[in-house]
Amino acid sequence: MITIKHLSHEFVVGKKGKQTFIPVLKDISFEVKEGEIVTIVGRSGSGKSTLLNLVSGFIHPKEGEIWINGQKVSQMNETKFADFRIKNLGFIFQSFQLIPSMTAFQNVELPLILKGVSETVRKKQTEEMLAKVGLLDYQDHYPGELSGGQQQRVSIARALIVNPPIILADEPTGSLDSETEEDLLKFIKELNTDLGITFLIITHDEKVANIGHRTIELKDGRIIEGVLA
Amino acid sequence: MKLSDQFRFVRQNMKKNRTRVYMTILATAMGCAFLIVLASVGFGLQKSVVKEMTERRIMTQIDVYGQETTESGGYRQLDDKDVQEFEEMSDVKAVTRRKMLQQEGFYLIGNYQQSTQTVVANFPSEIKAGFELSAGSLAKDKAEVVVGYNFPLNLGVKGEQTEEMFDEQGQLKEKFRYNGKLIGETIELTVSKMEDGKKIEKVFPVKVAGISKKPTKEWAEDRSVYISEELLKDIEAFTGTPKGIVLDSTDQVNLADLEASKNTFDDVKVYAKNMEAVQGIVDELKENDYATYSVVNELKEVNLMFAIAKAGLIFIGTIAILIASIGIYNTMTMAVTERAPDIGIMKAIGANPRTIKRIFLLESSYIGLIGAFIGTVVSYGISYAVNFVIPIIIKQAFGEETPPEIVFSDIPLSLPIICIVICYGVTILSGLRPAQRATKVDVLRAMRREV
Repeated sequence: MITIKHLSHEFVVGKKGKQTFIPVLKDISFEVKEGEIVTIVGRSGSGKSTLLNLVSGFIHPKEGEIWINGQKVSQMNETKFADFRIKNLGFIFQSFQLIPSMTAFQNVELPLILKGVSETVRKKQTEEMLAKVGLLDYQDHYPGELSGGQQQRVSIARALIVNPPIILADEPTGSLDSETEEDLLKFIKELNTDLGITFLIITHDEKVANIGHRTIELKDGRIIEGVLA
Repeated sequence: MKLSDQFRFVRQNMKKNRTRVYMTILATAMGCAFLIVLASVGFGLQKSVVKEMTERRIMTQIDVYGQETTESGGYRQLDDKDVQEFEEMSDVKAVTRRKMLQQEGFYLIGNYQQSTQTVVANFPSEIKAGFELSAGSLAKDKAEVVVGYNFPLNLGVKGEQTEEMFDEQGQLKEKFRYNGKLIGETIELTVSKMEDGKKIEKVFPVKVAGISKKPTKEWAEDRSVYISEELLKDIEAFTGTPKGIVLDSTDQVNLADLEASKNTFDDVKVYAKNMEAVQGIVDELKENDYATYSVVNELKEVNLMFAIAKAGLIFIGTIAILIASIGIYNTMTMAVTERAPDIGIMKAIGANPRTIKRIFLLESSYIGLIGAFIGTVVSYGISYAVNFVIPIIIKQAFGEETPPEIVFSDIPLSLPIICIVICYGVTILSGLRPAQRATKVDVLRAMRREV
């Protein structure tokens, strides 16, 4: 489902002529199979967020290849990747990344709008999805009027609304209390079991790391453990 | 993303910053109104001038004055041969040719008299050109004439005419004017000649066969008497000169010139089948060294002059829109900056950069078009007010009435269209850079709220 081949990346710091290159990922290779939950752990600065950003297409790798669903995405331009992203990837962010001026309903509906789905279908699917995450009664609430757990559920509903085969999650429980964290992890497990959604989760939380079928540990930009299934 | 959703997005975004958007729309509307009102003055004056020109002339009429002669560089008068040549030209509807009796004809009917112009016209060609009778018929023989519609206006009682016989407009008062019927009546045409210093007169009795149709132009008057070619020949036989010219002594003029003018026409007009054909006929006549005048030619020059003036006014007006566009640029740049985190989130979940660009361009177009629409409506109001108020001001300030045909401001449909096109173009240009900036928003920085 996701194949990473000899992926390397570095950040450029400083002005032109006085640039410094800081390597972040060094020759990373691994694979995430369909229906798998893979967690990536590592200390701060180990390169796990950079890895997820590369897989998400937010940044382009310096070297190596990224294949998702049989397509080489590492060389895709921004426009092509946007179309690919909306069909194949769902995102859960640590800070939820909801649009504050939109209601819970509008936030969840947004990917369907971008996909060009008709209004009637959109309304039905959005309500179903909000019901699924238990927030139908809160559909007209703005993110500022929801708790952290509720916001994360809206964020998950938005990620799931286009039925993506893969969900990329960056510290999904990072802003949640322990009770809400439990609920969320349970929900992720259910989604994986019931719908067969593949998860690639970045975390430094042991509890989250434990829900994965496999855990990959990064240290100083290299994989030190868990490449093989 | 569907267009209807893009519009919904734009409307939502505009609502978020109502005051800023309203002020930008206001600036655009003011720019558009300025452009339209400014240019409308050019359009209004052009309309007045063209109306004045076209009302006084028939659009398809071409006056031919003569042909340039290579020998002397002067012009020779036109004769039958030229007329025949004109008639054979394509798109020519009619060629009228008139000879003028070279002395003022003195007409007497009962106790009433007047001196007026006597014309020898070729009626078949006149009718083809649009000459019509209001009563009676055309002259059938040399003793019959057709009189102009306004012929009786100056047919006053015999004797010396005094001031009290005329009204304020200089028209003969009705009680001093001939009010009887004309058709079938005999009028006496008195022609004179000089012989050995003495004036000798001869009376030619003629019967009124018809009266010409009332001239279509309100200001035009037709007081002429139309006589036949045969009658002219009788008059020439009496005076011994071509077209009845009165000469004190034959030594005063070149006899050859006098003889040459015998069979020439004093007034030749070519009528084109339609307005589009006028230019072609004029060009052909000019190629053959004929001196011509047509209102279409004059209109062309006037229109060219006004086109330059209008282009200048529109250019000045465009500067106002350009100033307004700075406001649009500013509004859009601020919108992009404020919405950068939202743009980042949208890009992260799969929004196409092209869609984002289109949303921002739509927003700037929306502002521009609403502004242009409001500006157009306002400028129609201003234009109406200008046409209503300025004549009043002129009357109050200078005590003079403005002629009704003067239009101070006119907005033809093309003007708002030009304004909207300019405004839309300027809006797109001013919205382009902020829209491009929106597509380049870095997802990661935007999501960290660092933009």
